[in-house]
Formats: sequence, structure tokens, C-alpha cells
Amino acid sequence: MAALKDVSFDIPENQICGFIGPNGAGKTTLFSLITGAVRPSAGQVHFRGKDVTGMSSAALVKRGVARTHQVVRPFKAMSVLENVQVAVHYGRHAVTRTAVAREHAMEALKLVGLDRKANVLASAISLGEQKRLEVARALATAPELLLLDEICGGLTGSETGAMMELLHRIREGGTTIMYVEHDMKAIMAVCDRITVLNFGQKLAEGKPEEVQNDASVIEAYLGKSTFRDKKRG
Amino acid sequence: MKRPLGAAGWIKVILPWILLAGLLLLPATHPSDNLIRLLFITAVWTTTSLGWNLLGGMAGQVSFGFAVFFGLGAYTTALLMHAGHSPYFGFVGGAAIAMLASFLIGLPTFRLRGPYFVIATIGVTEAVRVIMNNLDVTGGASGYRITEDKPFSPLEHYYTAIAAVALAFVVSMVIAGSKFGLALRAIKQDEDAAADLGVNPFTSKLWIHAIAAGLTGIAGGIYARRAAFFYPGDVFAFQTGISILLMPVIGGIGTVWGAVLGGVVFGMVEEELVVHFPNLHLLIYGSLLIVIILLEPDGLLGLLRRLFRLFRRKREDSGSPDADQILWGRGGVEGRKF
Repeated sequence: MAALKDVSFDIPENQICGFIGPNGAGKTTLFSLITGAVRPSAGQVHFRGKDVTGMSSAALVKRGVARTHQVVRPFKAMSVLENVQVAVHYGRHAVTRTAVAREHAMEALKLVGLDRKANVLASAISLGEQKRLEVARALATAPELLLLDEICGGLTGSETGAMMELLHRIREGGTTIMYVEHDMKAIMAVCDRITVLNFGQKLAEGKPEEVQNDASVIEAYLGKSTFRDKKRG
Repeated sequence: MKRPLGAAGWIKVILPWILLAGLLLLPATHPSDNLIRLLFITAVWTTTSLGWNLLGGMAGQVSFGFAVFFGLGAYTTALLMHAGHSPYFGFVGGAAIAMLASFLIGLPTFRLRGPYFVIATIGVTEAVRVIMNNLDVTGGASGYRITEDKPFSPLEHYYTAIAAVALAFVVSMVIAGSKFGLALRAIKQDEDAAADLGVNPFTSKLWIHAIAAGLTGIAGGIYARRAAFFYPGDVFAFQTGISILLMPVIGGIGTVWGAVLGGVVFGMVEEELVVHFPNLHLLIYGSLLIVIILLEPDGLLGLLRRLFRLFRRKREDSGSPDADQILWGRGGVEGRKF
């Protein structure tokens, strides 16, 4: 069985591209294929015209592709600042000097609103804060393409709002974003384009409002009969 | 980000200098030959302890196979001396060969993780011991003898060992405070997450393995030159690998001072107690290990820190960690990891 089949798309520069689909549609697998965690059995991934299929995640970070994970993985025995510092040291710019790296890390923490927790152990902050730390770390690698996997899961409404604002600011900084999220409201509000996946295949693609009104998308989410009932009514 | 140093901060800075000065000036007080010998062997073991701690403590890769590097250092030094080279050239050669071996061992074994890596290192060290035992060049089971033209000088051996331990200490401190050290700590906690931030876990492990092997190789050479007679079943023994691993674990795994403390305790116990009570040392290690695993995963250093805190009654909230905590450990927040 294939988790993803014949899925093909382009990500235009400097846009926020959302990926939605029911559970098991292959969204996270898609991210893993792009960032080298899983090698595709067929197909290619190109980044800025170069074939990067199967490249290790570390090598991709150096080229400017970074990701976050749905399940956060902070370095719990390090401070919040040190967590981000690793990303600055080994990210695209490979900063060597500690003082400079700390400064950059603080900037990333300020962006996600965690600067006041900089010296706290990563194990001692809340899940919501750990989610933001995950974003700060990915951001600190100075990516050109940022893949965000469910960064709003478990966040409160206002935290989600702040996160959406942050995504806009990241894009304004010149970073392209691929974004997977279950929270429909969030993703519809923030994305320039949306791709819908279902059972490992691309179902629809377009602007948020186009996708929202697409018959096949409604069918995938709500089921066929519901859709028919709606039409009759 | 620099904070003013407190009293404890100053102690951290000057303690190594005081220790070094004391060790260098000690011979002026005409100590007994036995004390010099004891300090020599302690310094040799502490060097291996510091070396192992780089890979096992900082990067979290527990290896039972450091006897390979110790033995290779010993034999390379011996063979180079036999060929007419200076012993110091021999130590460098020993380090180089040990580093080379570390790459050969690391390339396949670092593809494995956790317990699988540990088991692989056990396999490698046993294989190397058996091979070495059957090679003519090592003298096989009948051993190898180093002969030097000049008269035996305990102090030269002593100073060489002190230099080695100082080197290992400086290397450890530099790595602990560097971006590489930070990456190693990240790898120890979550290899995949580290890779997602651009750290290459595989090459990082290869390099720290090589540095650790180099230090262990030097220690092996220094040990062999003074022992003057040794055999593969001794320097390549599985027991040697266990000893090298036990020291930092007992002292406080992952911390530079813990590795030093473990090496000192081990050296003293090994040299003093074994003479008077053969086999008692095994009981002592066993008991220490049980106490440490059950009560204080941060080792003797963690225990000391706890006592220190009891006496001092935390004046300030020391909850915020910073880079130099790697040097002193962090009070068990990391949990009970080997």
C-alpha cells in the first residue's frame, strides 16, 4: 500500500501553502518525503531547481529547508535558549561564535514570544510553549522553505491567533511556508493556496475559498450522502 | 550574556590551575616513589576517563570498546620505540593509530543506536583482543617488552602523565563550551531532532569518537612505556574497557569534573586497595555502581553537589542552566540515563 501516490505540485516562492486532508491522507508522510526522513520509492523532490530527493534532513537544513514535528521534540535537559542556539549554529548560516548565536537565538525566541523563558529548561515549559519552541528552532536555522506540521494542536484560541500572525511575519521575511494543520479556521485564514490530499492522492488545489467550495473536497470530508442531501435540500 | 562570577564561579576557574600547580610542584617536596607511581597511574586512568566521557558522557554513545584504543596506543608506542623512535613520537603515533581505528570501528557501528551500538562495541573489542593475541608482532600471550637505553626516571613518566591528563582536561573543556559540544548534547538527547536542526549526528559521533580514541591511545602509550612489559590479554582486555567506562559513570557521567573525580577514585582504589586486599576493588566498584544507579545518577560529583547544597542552603535560585553546567552537571534533571 502506498501512503502517497502520484502527488505532484509546485510551491511558489514567498507564499503560505496549506495542506489539508482527512486523517491518513498522507500529509505528514509528504513532509517526511520532502525533508529526507523517508525516501520515496518513486518520484523526485526539487528545491530551487536542484534535485534533493532523499537528501538527509541535516543537509537540507544547510540548503534552507527546515521542518517542525507534530509531536514536539525539545532537548529537555537544555535551556530554551540553548535549544534554539543549536539551530543557529548548525542552520543555513552556520554561525560559529557563541555570543552571536545567542543573539540570533534570542531574536527567534522573541518572535514566538518565548524570550522571557530563555533560561528555563525546555522540560519545564508548557506544551503550548514547547510548540512555539519547535517553531523558533526551525526558524533559527534561517530557512528559505519552512515546513510546519500541526503547530497549533493543543494551543488556545489566542495562542493560535498569535501563531497565524507569526506565519505572516515569517513570510514577509521572505520565507516560503508549507503548512499542515487540522484547524480549518486557522489554515483557511492564513494560507495563500491550499492543496487537499485524500487517501494519498491530490484531490484539489487552489485558493482557500475555491477549495472550500470544491465538491470533491466536501465529499471527502463529509461523505457523499451528506453532500447529496445538501444539494437536494 | 556574561554574568559576574560568584565565589563558586571563581573556584571553578582557579581550581584546575591550583591542581596543576600542586601536581607540578609536588616532586620538589621529595615524595615517596610510591606516591609518584600512584599519581602516575591515576593520571593515566583519568586521561582515559576524560576521553571516554567525551563520547559516552557528552554525546551519549556508551562504548565498551575503549580497550581497543588503549591497547593500540600501548603497542604503537612500543613498536615505534623498538624501531628507534622517541617515546614522545610513539605517543603521537599511538594517538594517530587509535584515531584511525576509531573511524574504522565507528563507520559501521554508528549506524546502530542505543543498546545495539553498545553490543557492537563489545563484539569489536573482543574480536580485536583475540586477533592481537594471535599476532606475532604483539608478542601474543607471552607479551611484549620495551627496553630503553636511558635509566628509569619515575619523574619523567609522572610529568608525561600529568601533561596527558591536562591535555585531556583542556580538550574536554574546550569542547564542552563550543558549538560542537552543544551539538553533542543535542545528539545525546534526541538524534533525529538534532538532525532536523542541521546537526549531522553521524559525522559528529565519528569525530568525537576519534578525539576520545586519540586521548585514550596516548594514555595507553604512556602506561605501556612505564609498565615496560605488557601483553594483549592485559591492555586489550574487556576488563580494561569496563574500567574506562566505569570511571566517568562513578564520577558523574557527562561532566568534565565527574570524569576527573571518577578517574582519581578509580586510580586510588585500583592501586592502593588491590595491593592490600586483592579482589576487594571489585566489591567496591560493584557497591559504588549500585549506589549510584539507585540514588544518584550524576555520580559522586552529583553526591558532592548535593552535600554542598545541604550545607549552603541555596541562597539564590540556581534553577537557570547555562553552558558551564555541562562542567558541573545539572542536578539530575536529565534523569537516570545510564
